[in-house]
Amino acid sequence: MKHLKTTILIFTALLGSAGTVSSFCGFYVASAGAELYNDKSQVILVRDGNHSIITMSNDFKGNVRDFAMVVPVPVVLKKDMVKVVDPGVFKRLDAYSGPRLVEYYDQNPCQKIEYLYDKITATRSMEAVTEDSEIVEVKKYKVTIEEKYTVGEYDILVLSAKESEGLKQWLIDNDYKIPEKAERVLEPYIKSNMKFFVVKVNLDEVSQTGFSELRPIQLSFESERFMLPLRLGMANSRGTQDMIVYAFTRSGRVEAANYRTVNMPTARMVPTFVKQQFGNFYKDLFDRRYNSEGKDAVFLEYAWNVTPTWPGAKCDPCVGPPPVYNDFKEAGVPWINNGNGGNVFFTRLHVRYSEDKFPEDLFFIVTPNTEHFQSRYIVTNPAYGDLSCDLGIKYQHDLKIRRKKELMELAALTGWSANIYTKYVEYGSGKIDSSGSTQKQRNSVVPIAPRGGHGPTLPALVFIFAFIGIVFLLTRLRPLATIT
Amino acid sequence: MKLRFKEYLKELRDPRYFQIIYLFLFLVYGIFNLAWDANILKYSLVIGSALLTQYICLRITKQGIGSLKSALITSLGLCLLLNADKAWIYVLAGVLAISSKFIIRIKNKHLFNPANFGIIMAIILTGDAWVSPGQWGSNAILLYFIGAAGLMVILNVGRIDTSLVFIGTYTFLLLGRDIYYLGWEFDVVAHKITNGSLLLFAFFMITDPMTIPNHRKGRIIWSVLVAVLVFLASSRLYVQTAAVWVLFFVTPATVILDKIYKAKKFEWHFGLSMNSISNKFNL
Repeated sequence: MKHLKTTILIFTALLGSAGTVSSFCGFYVASAGAELYNDKSQVILVRDGNHSIITMSNDFKGNVRDFAMVVPVPVVLKKDMVKVVDPGVFKRLDAYSGPRLVEYYDQNPCQKIEYLYDKITATRSMEAVTEDSEIVEVKKYKVTIEEKYTVGEYDILVLSAKESEGLKQWLIDNDYKIPEKAERVLEPYIKSNMKFFVVKVNLDEVSQTGFSELRPIQLSFESERFMLPLRLGMANSRGTQDMIVYAFTRSGRVEAANYRTVNMPTARMVPTFVKQQFGNFYKDLFDRRYNSEGKDAVFLEYAWNVTPTWPGAKCDPCVGPPPVYNDFKEAGVPWINNGNGGNVFFTRLHVRYSEDKFPEDLFFIVTPNTEHFQSRYIVTNPAYGDLSCDLGIKYQHDLKIRRKKELMELAALTGWSANIYTKYVEYGSGKIDSSGSTQKQRNSVVPIAPRGGHGPTLPALVFIFAFIGIVFLLTRLRPLATIT
Repeated sequence: MKLRFKEYLKELRDPRYFQIIYLFLFLVYGIFNLAWDANILKYSLVIGSALLTQYICLRITKQGIGSLKSALITSLGLCLLLNADKAWIYVLAGVLAISSKFIIRIKNKHLFNPANFGIIMAIILTGDAWVSPGQWGSNAILLYFIGAAGLMVILNVGRIDTSLVFIGTYTFLLLGRDIYYLGWEFDVVAHKITNGSLLLFAFFMITDPMTIPNHRKGRIIWSVLVAVLVFLASSRLYVQTAAVWVLFFVTPATVILDKIYKAKKFEWHFGLSMNSISNKFNL
């Protein structure tokens, strides 16, 4: 039995080293969800033809009186086009689609998911405003209040404006703190006929309903523009911001139209000690990937068919349960009724944007691409016990090689130094401590190993040489053809 | 043996070899630097089906098999731009692209840009194909690279005017709308103009001498038309892949412009290569 176990392990190790672990039944051990990023937002996008449903998570954790938000929208939103939804949907989607670590044999308690919220688009100052002043003075600012209503705990205004100066002044006079740089960004939105969706918290509603946290707001409208207006949000932030986009379509993946969409590395064999620090591992991996791709790409972390009636596996392995009818309903997927009604394809994109690298708003396209993708990393625990037989000795030898490769992979993916983990390779004595490891240290020196994302693969090289062969043949063909 | 080598060198002066090499370099660049999935099956299917179709069509029409080069250029264009969810769509695109050259003809000139025709047909007929406009990113180095590479190709063929007029008109329209009217800063326009897909379109697709007007004036009007339509489709209708659609629907304009401005149809070789000489003398 021991022999059998050893053989299987070596086999899987070989599979892993070739980078082609296609499907297996591993155990999920850790996830790296949206909670890792401090300056981040989460958005659910549903797109069906020209119909968009956008749900914005509300990660405001200060005093609710201070909350305010301004979002450029392409159309005037009526009351029935706006609603508040259960914040749990974001947590469930994040848990379902986050990057995952899987391991063989050992099951580990899942890391607790904890959220840190601290970003907001605009902040409202403390003074209360009387409603009358808003309407009376509107003309002076050339600002029109197109709609005014209360949804859930939010007081909402939909504004249209003629000029940015007026809009800016109106917002300032109505106690919205607008960053200096916002004005020049407001102008293009006004000229492109965008409206401004302005949100404050209705304190009466909050005290009545007794919600401890502000709920996400969901907007539903028709527009050719399938985009997210990043520019306004960047006006009050110097650094980078992280955004996780959960997208649902009927046909297939969503990808960025005016930026590159790049897959995160996946199916990589990494050392077992990554298990204890998977969050940090993925964070550093993302940093590295973000930098190596020029800081202006959009990253694909997950893509899967989540159609309720579709018989295939919804994840492999599952980190969180796949979305069910209630999640679709909360996310605003309109074509799913009672768990039926057509295909649903889910895409998770991770964008880290900054003003200099993302000069344009982020536009998306819906593609018919239904290829599944998940950002998945694998740890393989070694065999325990007496390994003194022939196969056991060979196994220990192979294990050392495999572990060296795992360290190289780790260095390539995260930039963590492979040298400080030499002990990890030496655990070949038969009594292997699966959790034993030193603390991770950042490495400032770039390792010589190939970069984490992608490198020349054998098929690609074969193709290149085959192609050169074809061209060579063509150059020969013509003279031969004319001579004969 | 010496003669063979000379023949060889002259054959290599055919500008289509430059085009093949550069398009191929873009593919390699995409795979190794832009993190594309190296879909070897896709490339093999597209190139294989295009070459085979060209070969069969040439045999049927009893022509020499020398113009397999054009098929290779077309299939590389397809590899660079077309994506599909199913493998057979690549074969369909390759076959349709090449056969359109032999079937849809007016006055001994094929009508549609073959790669463009293959892409549009694959999208319309199957619904499982798409173009990723963002896949090239907006990298300034890439701009230089594509620009320089494209320029060399066109200088060899003499159709640089279409690219420059197209880019010039499109930039002018973007500057007018995005900066003068909307008030964006220049980086927005720069980001749009340096989009790799757009530059590839400008330097490699609308410069195909066989499917654009023969007369210089015709070409300039045609390029302006394409630029205006791409601008309108992308900024008014928010069509993200405007360029490929516009090129498809603007095809009738080539016929009309060829009627108004008459000029000799473009022929590859221009007596550059040994072949045309040997053909002339029936060697």
